[in-house]
Amino acid sequence: MTGPPPVRVEKALGLLPELETLDPLRALLVSIARPDAQSLWSSSGPYLTLGKRGVQPEELRRRLPQVFHRVVGYLQALYREYVDALECQQAADPAGVVAALLRGGRLDERLGRFTHARVWYAHALAVAETLQDRRPEVESLRALGYVCLSLAQYGDGAKAFQRSLALAEAEFDQAGATAACEGLADVALAQGQWSGAYAWYSRGLRLAEAAGDAVRAGRLECQLGVVARRQGDLAAAGEFLRRARERLEPAGSADEMARVLNEQGRLDAKLGRHASASAAYREGLAWAQRNAANPGTELSIRLNLAELDLDAGRLVEAEAELRRAEQVAIGGDLMLRLARVYVLMGRLRGVQEDETGFVFFEQALELAKALDRSVATQAQVSFEYGLFRNRLGQQDEARAYLEQARELYDSLGEAAQRERADAELRRLTA
Amino acid sequence: MMQPLPPTPSPRPFGMAHSPPSAMPRKEDVTLLRILVVPGEGTGAAGLLQTLRQWADDGRLEVETVPDLPRAVRQLAASGWDVVLAVLGDHPDDDLTWWVDTLRAATGSPRLIAAAQAPSMGLVLRAEQSGVLEVLSLPLRRDDLMQALGRLRAVATESAIPLPEVEPDVVGQYALVGQSPAMLDVYKQLARVAGSTATVLVEGESGTGKEVVARAIHLHGPKAAGAFVAVNCAAIPENLLESELFGHEKGAFTGAVTRKIGRFEQATRGTLFLDEIADMSLALQAKILRAVQEREIERVGGTETIPVDVRLIAATNRDLKEAIKQARFREDLYYRLAVFTIRLPKLADRGDDLLLLTAYFVRLFGERYKKNMRAISDRALELLRGHAWVGNVRELRNVIERGVIVANDDTLRVEHLPDELRGEAVALADRPSGGQLTLAQVEARHIAKVLAQTGGQIGAAAEILGIHRNTLTRKMKEYGL
Repeated sequence: MTGPPPVRVEKALGLLPELETLDPLRALLVSIARPDAQSLWSSSGPYLTLGKRGVQPEELRRRLPQVFHRVVGYLQALYREYVDALECQQAADPAGVVAALLRGGRLDERLGRFTHARVWYAHALAVAETLQDRRPEVESLRALGYVCLSLAQYGDGAKAFQRSLALAEAEFDQAGATAACEGLADVALAQGQWSGAYAWYSRGLRLAEAAGDAVRAGRLECQLGVVARRQGDLAAAGEFLRRARERLEPAGSADEMARVLNEQGRLDAKLGRHASASAAYREGLAWAQRNAANPGTELSIRLNLAELDLDAGRLVEAEAELRRAEQVAIGGDLMLRLARVYVLMGRLRGVQEDETGFVFFEQALELAKALDRSVATQAQVSFEYGLFRNRLGQQDEARAYLEQARELYDSLGEAAQRERADAELRRLTA
Repeated sequence: MMQPLPPTPSPRPFGMAHSPPSAMPRKEDVTLLRILVVPGEGTGAAGLLQTLRQWADDGRLEVETVPDLPRAVRQLAASGWDVVLAVLGDHPDDDLTWWVDTLRAATGSPRLIAAAQAPSMGLVLRAEQSGVLEVLSLPLRRDDLMQALGRLRAVATESAIPLPEVEPDVVGQYALVGQSPAMLDVYKQLARVAGSTATVLVEGESGTGKEVVARAIHLHGPKAAGAFVAVNCAAIPENLLESELFGHEKGAFTGAVTRKIGRFEQATRGTLFLDEIADMSLALQAKILRAVQEREIERVGGTETIPVDVRLIAATNRDLKEAIKQARFREDLYYRLAVFTIRLPKLADRGDDLLLLTAYFVRLFGERYKKNMRAISDRALELLRGHAWVGNVRELRNVIERGVIVANDDTLRVEHLPDELRGEAVALADRPSGGQLTLAQVEARHIAKVLAQTGGQIGAAAEILGIHRNTLTRKMKEYGL
């Protein structure tokens, strides 16, 4: 006996108003969606995306208590942080007030509610600014800097880290100063300002070494490797990564090691050493396995592995890896990255000159707009969509998507990416 | 023409992935197994290694160990192993998935033996589905391990069978392959309908070749000079399908960045193939019906009526009559499409076509991946014959393509087949008459194993299995244990 067929996710999401209060329900719906067994081997199987997965309303209803439990737990924790802050206020412990408010912000930040987190951090900062002890202010500014970075508010982020650095140095707070340098470098890196990023990471590294903080020093070496690779200095990148591994492996820092190996894989791929790149990614996955709490790193490695296969023309392996990445993204509620999975699937179909591959770009755009509302992701998808259309000889559509990407990159102030879009448009016209 | 030649014996040792098929290794080479032991994080490697080395005293096992997963990955990349014995940690399901995935990409495709504290029934079932050689309970028992390795050795002796010659009917990039009575019937129907411009409905399970048949009808029909345009109705998001079929004017909706010519127009004077037609919404079905009846369309956001001259071929893997009963498919559209119906057989109903298709795909992918493949092993063929093929020819094609990619001599062997099928190989070695194990058989095997481990103590076995002792007693009676 078979029940009614499942409802497709594209239809289910269409019925769900885009309200923030419904975010946990949306996440649950997506995470329990499964491909229809019949469609796996059908001719539409290769084009299966999140939207074409099915969800059983009965299962969603059955699992609602899970969401309620999570929502209540979140609200309880948040409200308690406020009550803690209030008690600290009553006990004339303003540093405790700041700490409680920062904890509230971190709760929101972990759930991806960056604008909420920003409000908490701003509150914490306002209290911290009145204190004689400047360390709570340093910490508040650092938290504010990172949340601005997540929101792509680079100017505000840089200001927060600058203030944090000045205060930390004045207070001889070496850990605070190191963290502020790292934050400033991260902002520069996000904006493609390689030399600025290099200078800040180097300064942070010197401070971390002086403080004997091996894990932070290893992380900074890894980031210096990223900058060196971006600048095209591959030998220096290799050296930074080697030193990062030397520092991090004895510390047993699983997530950091996974990141270093991920970067090593990228470097090897750039050097054309595909076997070494693949081995580095595989080892990175082994480290990521030790830290299952952060599926983001695993997903990042799988995406790079798929891209490596794609570039080497190993399309069967690339597709298998992308399907695994899709599963990790859906299971880990990483919708922003899921859009990247679909962009690569679309690129793969483009290589096969398969016009129906456009469905992946459409799904990625849908995700970028509806679930993530990320302009940066929309820009990346539009750019790749343009390349896909061009590969299929659809030049008018290719131009339209590339122009769209250029506009979006412009609005974000991402000069390097804008230049890439411009270069493709020039090539198209030529 | 398509009779296989007599088999040529060509046994292959483990751990000798690059040896040519003609090499005749000595017996001791054939039976030597290299085992990499990976204890769980935090568990003692030394004790486990010592135990295994004691068990390997007959010299037929070569055992090495690494302390953790990252080092295991390095070892796997460095040299070929026949078996990985991995101790699963606190999250055995996640660990198992990780290992299956990792070994898929490892040099020489080693087999996995997973060891866990009191493995659950779910874990054992998942392991079986993923082609894991064996799931063993901790502490390890010598007999269990040796039995698993014995099964692996049993499937190692493979003989090469030369691939038969195949003369496919080429249909563009595709081909029709098969001489079974069921396929001969399809060819006859195809010949009858191709010469006309009648609308055709092709029915058949997923992967039976509906699009290839549609292309063959087009190529042998009066519109062969025109384009063959295929649309997969299930692949395209519902909100885009209408514009994909009928086209749109610039600015008709968000994302309509340029004017688009739809597939109906693209197929003018040719053939439009609507695949997985049952997945279309009722609203769109009405628009298709209008286009079929009136032979004209309108672009989305446009006002102009555009005449279209296309031959329509539709396909479905669903029961359209049942869909009509459930009000999911329009009856009037069904009768418009099913002017002539061709029903394609399942691969399981095509008898020896399996060997012909295998030979065709092995050569096709051999050419694509620059490999001179000439034979298939008797064991591999046995596995292919025993497999259920829910995805029909498409699934077979995928299996062969992956096999050819990983093959490194001229023979497709069991080790080149996916884990799922290789899991069936080990199961085949256990049973007399081939075919899939049922869930009950798997359950019975696992219960028997746990009972052996607990020395027949029902209470302890029930605890390991995570079921009540009364349930276990009932199951033991049921399975005659």
